[in-house]
Amino acid sequence: MSTFTIILAVLAIGLVGAVLGYRRSRAFAFADGPKLHSRPVYHASYVASWAVIPSLLLLSAWLIVSPIVVYSSVSTSFPEGVLAETSLTEDLAYGIVESIGDGLRVLPPEERSTITDSTPVADVSSMLRARGVPIASAAADWMVPLALQLNSMQATSRLLMTGAVILLALAGAFWGYRHIQPRLRARNSVEGVVRGALIVASSIAILTTIGIVFSMLFETIDFFSRISPAEFFFGTEWNPRFSGAGSDGSAGSFGFIPLLAGTLYIAGVAMLIAVPIGLFAAIYMAEYADNKTRSIVKPLLEVLAGIPTIVYGFFALITVGPFLRDLSAQIAGITTGSYTSFIQAQSVLTAGLVMAIMLIPFVSSLSDDIITSVPRSLRDGSLGLGATRSETIKKVILPAALPGIVSALLLTASRAIGETMIVVLAAGVAANLTINPFEAMTTITVKIVAQLTGDLEFNSPQTLVAFALGMTLFFLTLCLNIYALYIVRKYKEQYE
Amino acid sequence: MQMENIQATLNKGPAVQAAKPTKMRSENVTVHYGAKQALNGINLDVPERQVTALIGPSGCGKSTYLRCLNRMNDTIDGCKVGGKITLDNEDIYDPSIDVVELRARVGMVFQKPNPFPKSIFENVAYGPKIHGLARNKNELDEIVHRSLERAGLLKEVKDRLDEPGTGLSGGQQQRLCIARAIAVSPEVILMDEPCSALDPIATATVEELIDELRENFTIVIVTHSMQQAARVSQVTAMFHLGDLAEVGPTEKMFSNPDDKRTQDYITGRFG
Repeated sequence: MSTFTIILAVLAIGLVGAVLGYRRSRAFAFADGPKLHSRPVYHASYVASWAVIPSLLLLSAWLIVSPIVVYSSVSTSFPEGVLAETSLTEDLAYGIVESIGDGLRVLPPEERSTITDSTPVADVSSMLRARGVPIASAAADWMVPLALQLNSMQATSRLLMTGAVILLALAGAFWGYRHIQPRLRARNSVEGVVRGALIVASSIAILTTIGIVFSMLFETIDFFSRISPAEFFFGTEWNPRFSGAGSDGSAGSFGFIPLLAGTLYIAGVAMLIAVPIGLFAAIYMAEYADNKTRSIVKPLLEVLAGIPTIVYGFFALITVGPFLRDLSAQIAGITTGSYTSFIQAQSVLTAGLVMAIMLIPFVSSLSDDIITSVPRSLRDGSLGLGATRSETIKKVILPAALPGIVSALLLTASRAIGETMIVVLAAGVAANLTINPFEAMTTITVKIVAQLTGDLEFNSPQTLVAFALGMTLFFLTLCLNIYALYIVRKYKEQYE
Repeated sequence: MQMENIQATLNKGPAVQAAKPTKMRSENVTVHYGAKQALNGINLDVPERQVTALIGPSGCGKSTYLRCLNRMNDTIDGCKVGGKITLDNEDIYDPSIDVVELRARVGMVFQKPNPFPKSIFENVAYGPKIHGLARNKNELDEIVHRSLERAGLLKEVKDRLDEPGTGLSGGQQQRLCIARAIAVSPEVILMDEPCSALDPIATATVEELIDELRENFTIVIVTHSMQQAARVSQVTAMFHLGDLAEVGPTEKMFSNPDDKRTQDYITGRFG
């Protein structure tokens, strides 16, 4: 049975168990005797939990453990010395055995029965190729019996697993059903199950984060074993010199400063434009606009947030960039007489401007929520003293909302720092170190993409630097987010 | 609610003084929230330097009426006020009236104490600062101290004026709000159930304060407590379902009401 069918079967057993459990507890409910502790629906969930949870746990454990067991038993029976003769690693050889095994299962029964332990691999390969399954040229004769062994082990494992899981589901359902009694605290047990499920859901997010960190960590450590951290963190030149096949392997310079400067500069320009506009929009929506205007303006602003950033990139590339370049040429022409543009089409300013447009809805929407959550009584208190609306906003509402707004801005900033597509198209890929906002710069994210795309060796510093950059970026935004959380927490304490 | 209790309270209370001139006059005031009518033509005179209590069952429109007197209803979407309200014979809904100036003259204390999340000093100094009532730091200091003194709070807080106003107890917070209101030197103070969130001891303090404030301010107070109305007010107005059921000297209202609804309400038959 396929895994999916097994899950369906287990769920079906759970459902039947639930129905039976429901009926049994209903019978208790109407019989004389002790009062039912939990409502029948809890008894039903109780039976279903017993049927489904242990069996699904067994299923997932089996799915994880079984391939490991099969791998170790097959790879230990590799013939002595064959790996040393060829240039195959153990993993690679196992991979070929596995693909032969997979291929054999595709064959119709009559063809498969012709294959025995002594069939030469060439015959097998040609049969498989006829069915559209390619086999690596490194396949050797000794792999055929192993492939057959592998297949039989996998089949046995699956059969055992199906039996064990379904038996466990049945046993669980039976156990739960037998336990139903009027005084059974089914409600408490079910609440416990719900709680556990919620804990699992939230820990998945945390575990994923940890997983991401570790996946980058080892590559990062590898990178720093080749390039010294000092050179990376304090170097002012970025020129990794792509090492393709056949290059002399000399590493370029991996100065991280130009990328950090570009990232912060572009994000800074974007925030400088987005924060005032977004904040004023939020104040208008929260304090001045009547409900009708608000119900139109707010969704319109939020539409901006739904536009994919690559589209903003187009906008920057074909509209904003050329416009700024031509505008600067006109200005230069009027003031100096020479029509040379001083703003490049791809520049910090272009990227900052377009990124600001992307950020405005984040700033305004988050700030709007925070401003509206300032208690109405404070607003009334100030207005009741004869303060104008703008005085009320300036002196009471904004100070009260400030911590929340600051944390909203920090969240927005971490978005700005992580933005890629707009920068690629609007600010270019040249890693300059400059303070002129009219020139091209680039960001950490853009360089990560640049280092990981293309035909590159995966164990050169040129590629590994992407992980070091990713790790640095991760910590940069992590710090911003933690600081934002800290401020939010402080804000909550003040208002409760 | 025992009639005897209220009688006893009235007898101990301040003697009703001779009729005072009218400070605020309402003529046929109506309020609509969207399509729903909340007030059906209220005619009421608020006498100067007296405490006028507005009583009545929940939802009868007394708070709505109170909020008309300094146009706080303007801030509510879909609220329409009709009729005429005058302050010293000036129509407060006239387009030539500046609502900000009006609210400086007609201050308000709210049901729930709502000090700003600022220091005690800054809370009281807020109004004088925005209206430019103090020319320098010393004058501002003096206004703040005098207002706290009049609100009976100075003794309790004079050593900690820099601490946040939100850190005070409920009763102190409400007196801080009263100090904040009188710091602007309004002519009229509106109070919307100022004691409903306070314990009996804090209530007694605030009530005493209201009685003292009567010397200088015209006060309109909404209350659910009939004893409180009897203790602090000279004039009582009874609202019922958006109508003004009856208005008269407090003593008469509680001893010999003309209106059947008033009688039922103060004897506890409904409400």
